Amino acid sequence: MASPWKSAGISYLKYAQICARAVRNSLKDDVRTAAQRRDANGLKVAKWENGKAGEQKFIVPPKAE
Amino acid sequence: MLSTSSFLLVLFVCQTSKPRIFLCTNSIMNVLARSARAAVKPMRMARFYASEAPAGAASDKLRLTFAVPHQAIYKNTEVHQVNLAATSGDMGVLANHVPTIEQLKAGVVEVLENASTTKKYFVSGGFATINPDSTLNINAVEAFELDQFSPEAVRAGLAEAQKASATGSEEEKAAAKIEVEVYEALTAALTK
Repeated sequence: MASPWKSAGISYLKYAQICARAVRNSLKDDVRTAAQRRDANGLKVAKWENGKAGEQKFIVPPKAE
Repeated sequence: MLSTSSFLLVLFVCQTSKPRIFLCTNSIMNVLARSARAAVKPMRMARFYASEAPAGAASDKLRLTFAVPHQAIYKNTEVHQVNLAATSGDMGVLANHVPTIEQLKAGVVEVLENASTTKKYFVSGGFATINPDSTLNINAVEAFELDQFSPEAVRAGLAEAQKASATGSEEEKAAAKIEVEVYEALTAALTK
């Protein structure tokens, strides 16, 4: 008894993410702003050479809300 | 079928009288483990009341830990009962419940703290682990009390998701259908 989303190629993590986003969207304004800030993730890397950080680069830039 | 049930019987004998497990040889243990795995499937369909759970060293109070990634809502707190919306069905958990792991739907987790206080949280989905020692762990991605939701926002989200579920690729449609389910569950929870 596979879920319809699973047969459409959506992983559980993706599913959980979609559910969480819908829940955050439904909140009252004051709580929603704080909750949606949690959803914005980014990934930034810097290569260290001789004890110094190189240029910082976004691999996954944070989504603009 | 006959052989499976006779293995089952042996398994229960071993479980109830612990020292006998040590008399079993390795090969017997393997057979038991295999028959236990085979027995899991039909047994999973069976539902028990908490009072039917085997009485052991477990305490008489349910201890709840309810956490989201950014906050622990309950931390090893003694509560009376917790009602969950699991994918296998809605269930109420009391102390000494049969140990199990349940996947939670987007739905309401109702915590009966004591005879007079009941709190309702809407969780976006997660897992509940019911342990043999009467502890219950609930992990969810998002959980909020019902009064923190805005019915207008739910209505707007539902309309948007329903529109989106009609167009786009199969994956986009499936994603929108998940959203529709969440908003519908929220609507049901808020109008109750």
